[in-house]
Amino acid sequence: MCRRMERLQRASIILFFLLLLFLNAQAQEYDILLKGGHLIDAKNNIDGPMDLAIADGKIAEVARNIPKDKAARTIDVSGLYVTPGLIDMHAHVFMGNEPGAYIANGATSVMPDGFTFRSGVTTVVDAGSSGWRNFPLFKEQTIDKAKTRVLALLNIVGTGMRSRFEEQDITDMNPEMTAYSIQKLYPDILVGIKAAHYWGGFTQVDLAVEAGKKAGVPVMVDFGEHNPPNSIEALFMEHLRPGDIFTHTYSNGPKERETIVDENGKLKPLVLKAQQRGIIFDLGHGGGAFTWKQAVPATKQGFKADVVSTDLHTESMNSGMKDLSNVLSKFMALGISLPDAILRATWAPAKVINRPDLGHLSVGAEADVAVFNLRKGNFGFLDVRRMRLKGDKKLEAELTLRAGKVVWDMNGIASEDFKE
Amino acid sequence: MKILNFKIKENIIGLILFLTVLSLQAQEIDILIKNGHVFDAKNNIDTISDVSIAAGKIVRVAPSISEKQAKQVIDATGLYVLPGLIDPHTHVFVGPKPGKFADGSNSLSPDDFSFKSGVTTVVDAGTSGWQNFPQFKSQVIDQSKTRVLAFLNIAAQGINGTEIELTKIEAEKHDINEMDVAKTSEMILEYPDIIVGVKIGHFNGESWAPFDRAVEAASKTDRPLFVECHLPEYSLKDQLDHMRPGDIITHSFENIDERMPVVDENGKLRPFVLEALERGVLFDVGHGGAGFWFDQAIPALQQGLWPNSFGTDLHRFSMNAGMKDILNVMSKYLNMGMPLKDVFLRGSYYPAKAIKREDLGNLSSGSDADIVLLSLRSGEFGFIDARNNSIKGDKKLEAEMTIRAGKVVWDLNGLAAKPFEKN
Repeated sequence: MCRRMERLQRASIILFFLLLLFLNAQAQEYDILLKGGHLIDAKNNIDGPMDLAIADGKIAEVARNIPKDKAARTIDVSGLYVTPGLIDMHAHVFMGNEPGAYIANGATSVMPDGFTFRSGVTTVVDAGSSGWRNFPLFKEQTIDKAKTRVLALLNIVGTGMRSRFEEQDITDMNPEMTAYSIQKLYPDILVGIKAAHYWGGFTQVDLAVEAGKKAGVPVMVDFGEHNPPNSIEALFMEHLRPGDIFTHTYSNGPKERETIVDENGKLKPLVLKAQQRGIIFDLGHGGGAFTWKQAVPATKQGFKADVVSTDLHTESMNSGMKDLSNVLSKFMALGISLPDAILRATWAPAKVINRPDLGHLSVGAEADVAVFNLRKGNFGFLDVRRMRLKGDKKLEAELTLRAGKVVWDMNGIASEDFKE
Repeated sequence: MKILNFKIKENIIGLILFLTVLSLQAQEIDILIKNGHVFDAKNNIDTISDVSIAAGKIVRVAPSISEKQAKQVIDATGLYVLPGLIDPHTHVFVGPKPGKFADGSNSLSPDDFSFKSGVTTVVDAGTSGWQNFPQFKSQVIDQSKTRVLAFLNIAAQGINGTEIELTKIEAEKHDINEMDVAKTSEMILEYPDIIVGVKIGHFNGESWAPFDRAVEAASKTDRPLFVECHLPEYSLKDQLDHMRPGDIITHSFENIDERMPVVDENGKLRPFVLEALERGVLFDVGHGGAGFWFDQAIPALQQGLWPNSFGTDLHRFSMNAGMKDILNVMSKYLNMGMPLKDVFLRGSYYPAKAIKREDLGNLSSGSDADIVLLSLRSGEFGFIDARNNSIKGDKKLEAEMTIRAGKVVWDLNGLAAKPFEKN
């Protein structure tokens, strides 16, 4: 009797614990809860206080008040802005040390992970560092090893940006091979085509657009080294298709690239017309392609670049560019609002590269999330001509998550307090 | 005659002095940094002062230097002006090989991280050895804007393992017979301005031959030995006992199985560690991804073991972790209670002395103009250790401007720029 009672008791205790465990497991359906933040998600029209829960590396719930006990781990993000992980649509990350090479497998490119997470970026698009001939090396060496999601525009030149001289070789601009690589070989990584650094007429652009048509992807054009410059009106209205991209929008080197603002500080009407036609304007800051002289009057006259990007490489990283959160802060110093700036580094580029799975915080999306502190103070923002514009706000990445994992935590908001 | 001769000599010396003063006065200044709080331990300067730079060198530090001759004036009001920071523990033999330190992507490009955190000199901690140092030099050192110095690994190929089970692979790969004192010393003497010491870092066996050879190569070339902790068969006490005064041990505040921690289970700093410190062994932070624990560093600081330098152990696995950059590591110590001036000392002057490069880490007239302008930011901050534990703090150092050999290489807020509004 007594023994049976004991056994029963034991069994019920075990049952009780199992029930508790079950309840507990049920209660903690989320891995991470970001609580108390201000959420900005353009695709879903959210710009306000909202909690965000993550489970299995995906966005699981976005709601005004998600209880703490539903998550294994709650991170207090009150006073901070929660956004989709940023997309840097223009970077050069095919880092290597091939003799004679500069951006393709060369030292002018950088390794992505050192720059991305600390500025809230979770996806970079390499802008044509590689072409169809050396993309497989780029993939093996960098893309497959990086924690950052690395996508790429394939250069219309087979060897990509190996040297300025090789980039002139029309016989190595093969629309067939380029389109084949994009469509058949690497459709998940290659999101478009790049035409850049060409000294001649429209040949390179036309070949790139031909490849773009074959592969069904956009073309990004760096139209900067033509002397005398080619007409941007012809480029926008005749050669490019709606959805194609003009980069280095605010560059001011009128001898080689026609500017969007004329000598008298007037925005050329054709620029707005081109934007209405669907031409995408990419900021592409770089070491030499962002001037207040262009950006300030253009903004005042009602024009904004569609996408804010860095053109990250060794000549831009320590200059006025620095990183994407700095470039976004500069964009805000022009008078553009925070949600508008964030839009241009999240949902806007996702649409441009036809990747609607990225750049938003919809339930089910991969949990690429950035949390920003909007720091107040007296800041100066440098352009490429060493001109300074003042600003009183600056974005700082507090926390970055890639596929649900914390990959940057500036002040330890996702860590345990140390106890002596 | 003798008197006359003496007088002529005296006059000539006087004339030369006079001319020197004239030329100093007349010399054009490329950059004049005004009104910063200059901290230069070597020259006992700790006050508001100006710094003038010409032809890439420091001209002088003085309370009030006229702006008349200056091509560019930088207002450093409210900022600290220090010799450029020296990071004595980095891994910068970067290359395309995935999963590799030597010529691989586990190392990082120095310029990507240095200037934005006020660093003008990094020391690579033995990523290369005598067999591959020339490649490291041509591929990275000669290409970098950052001054890159190096400890040469006693292992011939440096750190040539993979990210998985690094030490095991090192032990298999690193043939003791190739840990060659003569060849290591020869390479050091071939590049005496770059190689500042010898490193022993990865070895799994019980033989003391690798360690002894590293010490021998260091002694022969009159340089310090740099000891990294991946030597699981050697006890901490034996390692410290084998080190000479001036030798450097890194990962000082690590708490992992691979090496006995400096603080025991009861939170007490081990007496033999303090003895080594008193004997002149230097302790580098060597933060890295796993090398810094508050449960070691805080009691150690309280009980008298202050690090001599803030080596970051910069590499792929530390850059985005609790380490981040040297200013973050320095800010940690500031918030742990180390006074600001002591933090500054360990940021440039002490590491310069440790690597026997007293030409660096100071603002003496004629030195290379490697300078950092730091701001001390107030706010609510947190700092993480290797266990993902954090402490809170209210101070943080930021690099406003970095100057390397007289050139502005980092300008956070455009201090050296012209205001756009006025154009």
